[in-house]
Amino acid sequence: MTKNNREQQNWEEHMSTNEFKKVTTPSELPKGKTLCVSVEEKELLLCHTADGIFAVDNLCTHAEARLCDGKLKGNKILCPLHGAAFDVKSGAALTRPASIPLKTYPVKLENETISVSLIEITE
Amino acid sequence: MRTQKSTQRTRDDETMTQNTPNTDTSPATPASGEARASGPTVADILASDRHPAPPPLLESAYEFLGDHDIPYERYTSAAYAQNEVTHVWGKAWQWACREEHIPDAGDNFVYDIGPYSVIVVRSEDETIEAFLNVCSHRGTRLLAAEGSGYSQAFTCPFHGWSWELNGDIRNIPGRWDFPHVCHEKHALQRVQCERWGGFVFINIDPNAKPLADYLDVLPEHFAHFPLKQRRIKAHVQKKLPANWKAAQEAFMEAYHNFETHNAPNGSNTQYDVFGKYVSRFIHNIGHYSPESLDDYPGDKWRKPPLSEDQQLDILSVFGIENSGVPEGETARSVIAKKLRGHFGELFGVDFSNTSETLMLDSIEYHLFPNMFFFAGINVPMVYRFRPDGESVEQCIFDVMILEPIAEGSEHPEPPEPVQLDVEQSYTETDALGWLAPVYDEDTANLAQQQQGFKISRKPGLTLGNYQEVRIRRVHLTLDEFMANAEP
Repeated sequence: MTKNNREQQNWEEHMSTNEFKKVTTPSELPKGKTLCVSVEEKELLLCHTADGIFAVDNLCTHAEARLCDGKLKGNKILCPLHGAAFDVKSGAALTRPASIPLKTYPVKLENETISVSLIEITE
Repeated sequence: MRTQKSTQRTRDDETMTQNTPNTDTSPATPASGEARASGPTVADILASDRHPAPPPLLESAYEFLGDHDIPYERYTSAAYAQNEVTHVWGKAWQWACREEHIPDAGDNFVYDIGPYSVIVVRSEDETIEAFLNVCSHRGTRLLAAEGSGYSQAFTCPFHGWSWELNGDIRNIPGRWDFPHVCHEKHALQRVQCERWGGFVFINIDPNAKPLADYLDVLPEHFAHFPLKQRRIKAHVQKKLPANWKAAQEAFMEAYHNFETHNAPNGSNTQYDVFGKYVSRFIHNIGHYSPESLDDYPGDKWRKPPLSEDQQLDILSVFGIENSGVPEGETARSVIAKKLRGHFGELFGVDFSNTSETLMLDSIEYHLFPNMFFFAGINVPMVYRFRPDGESVEQCIFDVMILEPIAEGSEHPEPPEPVQLDVEQSYTETDALGWLAPVYDEDTANLAQQQQGFKISRKPGLTLGNYQEVRIRRVHLTLDEFMANAEP
């Protein structure tokens, strides 16, 4: 594969994953609640806090428990297994035993539709 | 009834030996503890208000408790602080959180005090329990962070031992290697846990007396102004540069109002002591007595005294618009009326028959060792002071604003505490409104006081017999807790 071809392929992959996928509607996600959604076989957790709707990986970075079985408190998602807390806005691991942040993803709310993109927010 | 004790002299200080009561018996000098500021008393003001005060606020329960100095060593000694860990923090009832911090099964709240850490958990819908926050395998702390959390079980981050929410063993990986491990020895270690006023209290001492024995008059008094029917509007946690006792003592009297806050009221505040664990002050707002300042420096607020209009202007700090005091009214009656309407609309609560004193005044109850509960609507705080970890000279001051909520409405999710460090100002958060600059003034003296404890050749602090009696009451009870301590 030539360099140009590889770049072209990367760009196409980027475009396909960059697309926002419709995952649910606001009525399915009241404020203070979470919803587990699958996008291209990947589980994401949507979290509706007072500050907005945020998407993070659904698996805890410590022992891979499903965070949808945990609880949202303010902007924190708490893991059901060890109680580790993550900031759903930044993904930051706030307490032990977790130390690796959760990946976070862009969310769009348009026309009564909630969409997410699998392009990870890196800033 | 503990009313009208003001002329009694009592000795409740068996463990304090330096007590040397004032022996001046000249007829012109009242007996120790009988002297009061000139001018109307708080009771006089409450009696003159249009709306009758709840009966507990008409009680008076002062006792002369001695006039000896309190050793500075109590505020500076690491050995004394270590004994407090064992004999006070390990033995006294303390609130850990509000019930609304843990509304659902699985919700927990970690409370740290000195070296101790306690998990409070709602193990079932109606059941709240508490455990030491420690693994029964090799002693690791289980939940890392202080504050509210959630999990469906407790799992140690070291080897993965886990417990049910009720403390029973759930799973031990490699169980075959632990035939000697059993429920009796290895369940989570239970901590006493009781509730009052919407607060969850814990006591680390398995043999402690029930909470009700400590609360004394609090349940009876607060039945008239219930704390359970309130929500946490704001929570600020600030580190302060002083021993926890010095910090809380800055909030136990209003004698400092003139100098620290440049405020005219405070010198005729009423002080009450209800048994060993509970005390109170009632401090009028919207009224002051020029006579009570008769030996204060300068003529400020005395010649001439403030008019009712000027007193009302001072209260503009509450953010309520007003247009002066009409004939036949007082600043106090005008502002109370405004606040009834304002808060009634804001909270959906009917305050139309609520007394001026509850609407306006600073009505502060203290519960040994470190808790304050306010009864009022415009002055609606809860305080807690505790050492910062095991520090002797730094403490954590929790302030919560507890707003009334309408009958039948649910408690909303509490806000996360705003955390401020020693050097930060309360005005850096807007959570506390008009109180922020007041707290800056209250806490600005602490670093100098803590340093002064170590400068002084005189070995202890001197207290006013009446205005600072609540501080003395805490130290007398502290002596009882410390009686078993190493010398």
